[in-house]
Amino acid sequence: MTVGGEVIGVRGLTMGFGDRVVIRDLDFAVRRGEVYVVMGPSGCGKTTLLRHLLGLQEPVAGEVRYGGEDFTGAPRDVRARMLRRVGVLFQGSALWTSMTLAENVALPLEQFTRLPPSTIRGLVRLKLSLVGLSGFEDYYPWELSGGMQKRAGLARAIALDPEVLFIDEPSASLDPPTARRLDALVLRLRDALGTTAVVVTHDVATILGVGTRALFLDGAEQRAIAEGPPSELRERGPASVRAFFAGGVAET
Amino acid sequence: MRRADDASLVVRLGGAWRLAGAVPPPDAVARELDGARVPRLAVDGAGLGEWDSTLVAFVAEIAEACRVREVPVDVRGLPAEVRRLLDIAQEGPAPADEPEAPAPTGIERIGARALRRQERLREAVGFVGENALALARFVSRRARFRGQDLWLLLQQSGAEALAIVALVNFLVGIILAFVGITQLRFFGAESFVADIVGIAVVRDMGALITGVVLSGRSGGAFAAQLASMKATQEIDALQTFGISPVEFLVVPRILALTAMTPFLTLFADVAGVLGGALVGTTMLNQAFAGYVRQTAAALSMGDLLGGLVKGATYGLLVALTATLRGMQAERAAARVGEAATEAVVTGIVAIIAACGVYQYVFFLFGW
Repeated sequence: MTVGGEVIGVRGLTMGFGDRVVIRDLDFAVRRGEVYVVMGPSGCGKTTLLRHLLGLQEPVAGEVRYGGEDFTGAPRDVRARMLRRVGVLFQGSALWTSMTLAENVALPLEQFTRLPPSTIRGLVRLKLSLVGLSGFEDYYPWELSGGMQKRAGLARAIALDPEVLFIDEPSASLDPPTARRLDALVLRLRDALGTTAVVVTHDVATILGVGTRALFLDGAEQRAIAEGPPSELRERGPASVRAFFAGGVAET
Repeated sequence: MRRADDASLVVRLGGAWRLAGAVPPPDAVARELDGARVPRLAVDGAGLGEWDSTLVAFVAEIAEACRVREVPVDVRGLPAEVRRLLDIAQEGPAPADEPEAPAPTGIERIGARALRRQERLREAVGFVGENALALARFVSRRARFRGQDLWLLLQQSGAEALAIVALVNFLVGIILAFVGITQLRFFGAESFVADIVGIAVVRDMGALITGVVLSGRSGGAFAAQLASMKATQEIDALQTFGISPVEFLVVPRILALTAMTPFLTLFADVAGVLGGALVGTTMLNQAFAGYVRQTAAALSMGDLLGGLVKGATYGLLVALTATLRGMQAERAAARVGEAATEAVVTGIVAIIAACGVYQYVFFLFGW
């Protein structure tokens, strides 16, 4: 997988709630084709950063750009159009519980394409089979295990063939073997679909397993303190980053 | 407890220390410490039987009392397990995950609440505006939602509410007839009970009671559905697909309830009149057909249509307030119940207020 030009650019981003700043002056770029990991201990602002990248929360200062185009300052309809090139797997998978898996994957296709129902059905079957869930089209989310829900969420996230796939805590509430299988699936889909991925996680095994480059957020210092390939950060990163890797390995 | 030769205090602990048993309060030791000066305190556990955390808590209290009075404590006479627990307990609080802000003072709290009120009012106005825009998109057939969701909602807030709406209004009809007969009897005018019940039910009570029932039934459900979708990030998922949650979730609910309430009100009117008829025919020995004819004669088409318009308004208000409360809920499962409660309360207040406004307007115009 070759890594190309900038897909997401973050400039001087300061995030916070009310008067409380979580992270200040964040600068980084995600390049085409890479798996960019945002990591750090719990409560450091990883998920908050993800919400900013998706426009679910407004920054205190700074901007987010998609493919060189301003996202933060864009009007709502432009934002919606830009987000259509993005797929998200939420931490709790966030499948629409009142719909079956097939309906979950079909909804974005029905809303944003003019494809006939038979084509959409075929696409839904394809996406579900890509995540190993063929035959589960008519199941409701709550009838599935946690790992299967995550995979279904992934199928919905890739429904519109996104350029960028955001994944929030992929291994959360999964047992280690299931989490590793999900990591492998993310890499395979990245290779097969040519998407760029942004993974937010504190799971060291996931970071080392999937990350091309990683950004380490430090909640206490309220800034990013390291960026680079995960294995390099583990060996030669700042002391607190190495301690994070060491602690994570010892735990798992 | 005894004094050693060098005036230091020795606390000797013995017997069983169980949560299930009786435990001495540590105050006696503190009192002793406050008496004559104590250079040091030693705890001796040689005579201990079975023990659990009551013992540890007791020793920790003594140690704290000593720390305050700067008296050194010697716990070497206790079992190693007790000492280990004491060590952990005395480590102090774990480092907080987040830097803690100082607790707000009373005045700051009042200010914060006032600001929050203002914020919520602004949200409410914005919400109504957003709904108006989304409805315009619905009329121009550009709104994004699924037709099947609308049909399901029509069924849930309409047909499925029919039984409870009819029952409650039937009972209200009975109550109105009873009150009417007991009061009209003073003037020998109890034969007018059909008129009173008919006018009260068709003009106002049918719509009002239906609105209140729907507020508890559909309003609470709408708020809970939206709040729980917020907690599970389902609404975030819609937004990141560029689907407006207002168009997709709120507009169908508002349309469904506003459309179904007039029909339910119609059924409510019939049920209310039947309730009155039950009392009229049994207590006054009126003929059923006569009671119905008398009711019909007392009513005009304007009364009926006015009631139905009121019903539609109440349906709209219930749906608006309920979906607003659902969308305002914070992203936490615990907020689902609060959102449902607030939705029902706000909905009922809105209905009653609207009813008052209607009374005044109808009175002004002599309707």
